[in-house]
Amino acid sequence: MDFGLIAQYVANGILLGTMYALVAVGFTLFFGVLDVIKFSHGDVLMLGTFIGFTAWLGLEAIGVSNPWLQLLGILLCSLGATALIGAAIAKWLVLPLKNAPQLNTLLITLTLGTAIREAVRLFYPNGSNPKAFPALLPDAAIEIGNFSLRADSVILVLAGLGLIGLLNLVINRTRLGLAIRAVAQDEETARIMGINYTLVVLATFALGSGVAAFAGVMNGLYYNEINFGMGLILGLIGFSAAIVGGLGNLYGAILGGFLFAGLQTVGAALLPFASAYKDVFAFAVVIALMAWKPTGLIPERSSDRV
Amino acid sequence: MTDLSLNSTDRPRPWRTGAIVILAAGVYGWALIMAEETWQVLGLLVLALVAVLIGFKTGQVKQVHQAWAGSEPRLNRLAFATLIALILALSQEHFALLMVTTVLLYFVAAMGLNIQFGFAGMVNFAGAAFFGAGAYTAAVLGNVTAFPPLLTLVAGGLVALVLSIPLLVPIVRTTGHYAAVVTIAFGVLFRTFLEVNEILGGPQGLMVAPMRLFGWDFNNSPVIAGFEMSFYANYALLAAVLAALVFTLLRRLERSWIGLHMDAVRLDETAAACFGISIKRTKITAFLMGNLILGVSGALYGMMISFIAPASFAFSDSLLMVSIVLLGGLGSPWGAAVAATIVILLPEKLQLLQEYRFLLFSVLVILVLLFRPDGLLPRQLRNFFASRRAGK
Amino acid sequence: MSQPLLEFRSLVKRFGGVTALDDFSMTLSSGEILGLIGPNGSGKTTSFNVLTGIYKATSGQVFFEGREITNAPARTVYEAGIVRTFQRSRLCLPLSIYDNIMIGDTSRLDQGLWSNLIARGGLNKQLDTSYRLARELVGTFSGHLADRMDQPVGALPMIERRRIEICRALISGPRLLLLDEPSAGMTHDETHQLMDDILAVRARGEGLSIIIVEHEMGVIERITDRCCVLSYGRKIAEGTYAEVAADPEVQNAYLGAD
Repeated sequence: MDFGLIAQYVANGILLGTMYALVAVGFTLFFGVLDVIKFSHGDVLMLGTFIGFTAWLGLEAIGVSNPWLQLLGILLCSLGATALIGAAIAKWLVLPLKNAPQLNTLLITLTLGTAIREAVRLFYPNGSNPKAFPALLPDAAIEIGNFSLRADSVILVLAGLGLIGLLNLVINRTRLGLAIRAVAQDEETARIMGINYTLVVLATFALGSGVAAFAGVMNGLYYNEINFGMGLILGLIGFSAAIVGGLGNLYGAILGGFLFAGLQTVGAALLPFASAYKDVFAFAVVIALMAWKPTGLIPERSSDRV
Repeated sequence: MTDLSLNSTDRPRPWRTGAIVILAAGVYGWALIMAEETWQVLGLLVLALVAVLIGFKTGQVKQVHQAWAGSEPRLNRLAFATLIALILALSQEHFALLMVTTVLLYFVAAMGLNIQFGFAGMVNFAGAAFFGAGAYTAAVLGNVTAFPPLLTLVAGGLVALVLSIPLLVPIVRTTGHYAAVVTIAFGVLFRTFLEVNEILGGPQGLMVAPMRLFGWDFNNSPVIAGFEMSFYANYALLAAVLAALVFTLLRRLERSWIGLHMDAVRLDETAAACFGISIKRTKITAFLMGNLILGVSGALYGMMISFIAPASFAFSDSLLMVSIVLLGGLGSPWGAAVAATIVILLPEKLQLLQEYRFLLFSVLVILVLLFRPDGLLPRQLRNFFASRRAGK
Repeated sequence: MSQPLLEFRSLVKRFGGVTALDDFSMTLSSGEILGLIGPNGSGKTTSFNVLTGIYKATSGQVFFEGREITNAPARTVYEAGIVRTFQRSRLCLPLSIYDNIMIGDTSRLDQGLWSNLIARGGLNKQLDTSYRLARELVGTFSGHLADRMDQPVGALPMIERRRIEICRALISGPRLLLLDEPSAGMTHDETHQLMDDILAVRARGEGLSIIIVEHEMGVIERITDRCCVLSYGRKIAEGTYAEVAADPEVQNAYLGAD
């Protein structure tokens, strides 16, 4: 047994799982609070990452070269911008459509995602080509046998998990989180109890989107490249992860994210001669899971008034 | 049955209005396809917009609906004849015919999706995958030369059907966004599989052998009355026939108990079950039928463009197909026809739009969903007796 | 004593911590009209939902014509001859009156692919016959509606929609009709008329049995043979309307103890 290789797979899987969980958490939050699928989530985080990248270009241009400052700048800009964009979409597109059939919102946000993707491709300078994202994290790697643990992946995973943990704390331990959970359970009662519905919804979208932006930055820092299409596949995987884990449930989203990454890793490991099939394997398992558990692993507790 | 009788002086007029609209559409289509300059195309678009607006204001649109309600079989036949005439009129224009055939095949695909989405309420985000399955079947079978090409079309449909079977359990058990995951996952799975698999050409794609009908190779240019036509004319005519067949199938389906049950399942599953409708059977029928149609049209498409690659059958292409269905109006075949024309034809005519087409259509779909969710040509009330009460 | 048409034996339905039906037992004889009454939330609609297969019973049994149908799927319940209307009207609004009524006639319609799509001779005959029958049925309730069979139901006012919903239930010639608050939103006269129409249809058939959930006691008094009174999921009284109306426990349940 080549432990080095296994360890490599595992490390990779954990990194991917963190990324997917960051995206899935957004989907599940949006669904919990408004019963909607905001499909533009992936592309919005891509946009945010591009904004962060632009910020970096700006910082470089004005002579700020300290990598940690640059990192801070990127993070602030992309997370901040994504949070704002997410909230804006909620305010002007999703909230007005609250009473339309659910499928409409899914389709509109799906199409919006395409629009954002195309807009970046067309209007960002040289948008259709990948951009070289700076390698701002330390280059170091720890050698354990023939397994090379990159320092940056450790930092990213810890930061990502920390962010998820922070989100968890906000949801479960703060007044805002309480308000979010109240609105998620029963909008009308929450309103009657004096909760500012719109504000809570916007805050939820801002939170979910901002958190997902970190996934985009992670992607950029680790692979040193971003492109206009990265949001699509991240969004699709994040969506699948949130659904498989169980919509509306934060732990379900995290579970789903790591599960999907696990499937990809297992797929790559099991089929070393054809590791490119890992995505085929992962999505096939998703389909099988939906056949087994039509409302996700942690099922949605909904009731249709008859 | 009292208020549907039209007295004899009223009868000819609505029919004529419908006929005029069809013929005008035919001429307009020809003009649009032949237009070379941007200003010509834009002028024609403005003309269409103005005509439609006037039509609404003067109640002509209502008359058209009445015409169809009263004389549907005749008007449908006229429409088909006009289509054939259009194809023959364009018979020497390669590119024009290629466009017309592409529109027709996407129209057929949209009808397949309409059975799933418009009737039974099941969104299929893997439309391009089943379309591509048909194309790849045509490619593989074409390289095995003994297989009769017409049957290849059928085979394309059957392969799409077989590929649908593993999805049946999840698709029947899930609804709404959960069901969406199933087809999205399948679409990504399909494309990834094709890109990775060397036997099917990998990311570079495959050549597809052309259509041959009774020994007549479609890639030979037909010569009729001394005029040599573009070889695309073969495909265009065959696509027109296919479109007419699928259109008839769709109408019959809608005006049958099966179609009624699909609507019932879409609109209220619980009530449908309480009145004995088998949700499972209805959804399975819709899903399989739709994918069969997607496969057949994909097979003909593959044969026509003679080269296919996985990149043509990606998620964005499935989205484009869903957009056509939404733009035209859920469950509305004429709407799908108009939408397919807009989505396929316009970017070709307005070259400056080409790059921006995905963006523009996304915006268009968003606008339609926000302000006119029933689509451009909304689905009309089911008329069980349309073909039989004609000309009362 | 002949076998009852419908029997509930100790039906229990729990939703998490809420007990919606608590050991509910009752019988219904063929041809009887039974009133199911009780304050809001007492489990009346829940019993319909359990009977028609929308909810699974937590425990207990349901028998119809001697056969056990506990937890049978909705389709099976329909095929046995049990139909219903819904408290919150559940019609397909974009579809026409005729369409909606035909949804109720599933058991008599040919659903084969060949006969629906290819060789449609039989289908066309069914269309003609069923259109005529549907029109007649609707005509019993409203001559005005009978002339508008091709109009979308969404364009109709609530009262007309209720009538259509009842026609949808009656078109299949059922054995048992479950009416869930049919008169909600109607005036006294409209309710009176509706009940007359239902009874007229019943008279033409072979003794349709009816269970009616109602809040309007005038209706219950007029048309029912017997009543069951539910409170918090438990049956607290049974008998004729006069008997249960006089029952102090029933009065308590509705008005509260002093």
